[in-house]
Amino acid sequence: MKYMLMIYEDERAYGPEKAGAVLDAVAARHGAFAAELGPVLVGGAGLKGTPTATTVRAGTGARTIHDGPFAETKEQLGGFYLVDVPDLDAAIAVARRVPLVGEGAVEIRPVLQADDAR
Amino acid sequence: MKGLEEAVRAAGARIVAALAMRFRDLDLAEEAFADAYARAAEAWTDGAAPADPAAWLYRVAERRAVDRLRRARVRGRLAPEPPEPAPTAEDAMTDETRLIPDDRLRLIFVCCHPAVAPETRAALTLRLVCGLATDVIARAFLVPEATLAQRLVRAKRKIREAGVPFEVPGPEAWPDRLDAVLSTLEIAYAKAHEDAAGSGPHAGYAREMLDLSRLLAELLPREPEALAFAALVRFAESRRPARLDPGGAMVPLAEQDPGLWHRALIEEADPYMRRALALASPSPRVIQAAIHGVWCARASLADPAPWPAVLALYDVLLRHRDDAVVRLNRAVALAEVAGVAPALAEIERLDAPGLDAFLPYHAARADLLRRAGRTTEAAEAYDQALALGPNAAERAWLGRRRAGLG
Repeated sequence: MKYMLMIYEDERAYGPEKAGAVLDAVAARHGAFAAELGPVLVGGAGLKGTPTATTVRAGTGARTIHDGPFAETKEQLGGFYLVDVPDLDAAIAVARRVPLVGEGAVEIRPVLQADDAR
Repeated sequence: MKGLEEAVRAAGARIVAALAMRFRDLDLAEEAFADAYARAAEAWTDGAAPADPAAWLYRVAERRAVDRLRRARVRGRLAPEPPEPAPTAEDAMTDETRLIPDDRLRLIFVCCHPAVAPETRAALTLRLVCGLATDVIARAFLVPEATLAQRLVRAKRKIREAGVPFEVPGPEAWPDRLDAVLSTLEIAYAKAHEDAAGSGPHAGYAREMLDLSRLLAELLPREPEALAFAALVRFAESRRPARLDPGGAMVPLAEQDPGLWHRALIEEADPYMRRALALASPSPRVIQAAIHGVWCARASLADPAPWPAVLALYDVLLRHRDDAVVRLNRAVALAEVAGVAPALAEIERLDAPGLDAFLPYHAARADLLRRAGRTTEAAEAYDQALALGPNAAERAWLGRRRAGLG
């Protein structure tokens, strides 16, 4: 099964521009982690900070464009992994090892598959 | 229909578990078993029950499950192929216990997966592993039946869609997963235990907890916490006949007549307890069971209550789990060993969120204030306890103590 592991952290931990020493250090840990995952890893990326986010919102009328993330939250989506593992326990085992700076959370979501369209 | 009910009681969980594991689908297992049960109710008129009712139910349910899958496949063009039941050596045997593989442990681990909400885990386990009806569980958890049914549907869907494995977890996940199983069973048992009279909505399901804890201890004979849980449920259940006085008021543990306790249950509990203690240095669950065991070793009211041993065990427990509940219980024992004043000082030092809404806190405090002769404060504390909505037995006991203050 494929799962998306979404990394939520307080992006302030990375400094104002999400750049510099902290980011470099964490990026190195992610690089090593991705290499360890090997064939389990299907995809993934780190994201720039929410100040760079733009949101297109669909309401009743035309789609409107907004500055900022979809939702203002204490912790923000900062990156994701897409992994292919046998079951939820295996996904949890991977999620436990995802590098984090301090407090944060990794949300595990199964990816929709063709045979889910029942 | 006695034969049918007995067959279901004896083998229902095994059959549902075997179906669930075979088809990797909890709903399908439940529905197929319900189909088989309905067919049996029609077919087994008095005296016509088959020689091996459990094997009959299993075979019929298995066939119904395959039929249901086939129909689902025809209906939905994208529906998956049903997993082919793997031929096993057991299939050739006629013995029922060989025919129906024992997958109950796997089923318990599925129902108690940490990815399912804790309260729902307990309900799901009682439903699938104990076979309790949804309305019975709903009453036990004080939620409307429709709400509980909805939670069960959601949990089963989550288990299916999120890919919860139908396996006993491997060593890396084992501590977390066994802990989730035991916490779930503790939640379930706490509901049954609260009802001292055993006449409320939980009546009968304390017995399910005895079964379930025995099963877990048999399946995991090297796990001290599983053994301790089996011991704890037995120790606690043994005291049920002494927990209420003839007027329906709660009787505190130290005032219960050990002559009324179920000796047979205590004798069942003792070996579990001994094995749990022999296996490893005690963990909180093992220590808690040991505290129950120390009480149950009391033979009569003429013997001194085992307060020094209880206090010593709470001291050990405190080293593992330092929280307000443990400290409160320790203070109650301390009052009996060292006197009311130091115990009261301990209780007044407690500070935890939610303590104000915790009935045992006010009840223990009221009792100590009463014994210290601080009548006005004791009355206030009793009133605080009574305002928290105690059950009938607690209310009668607290009310009597409150009235006795003079």
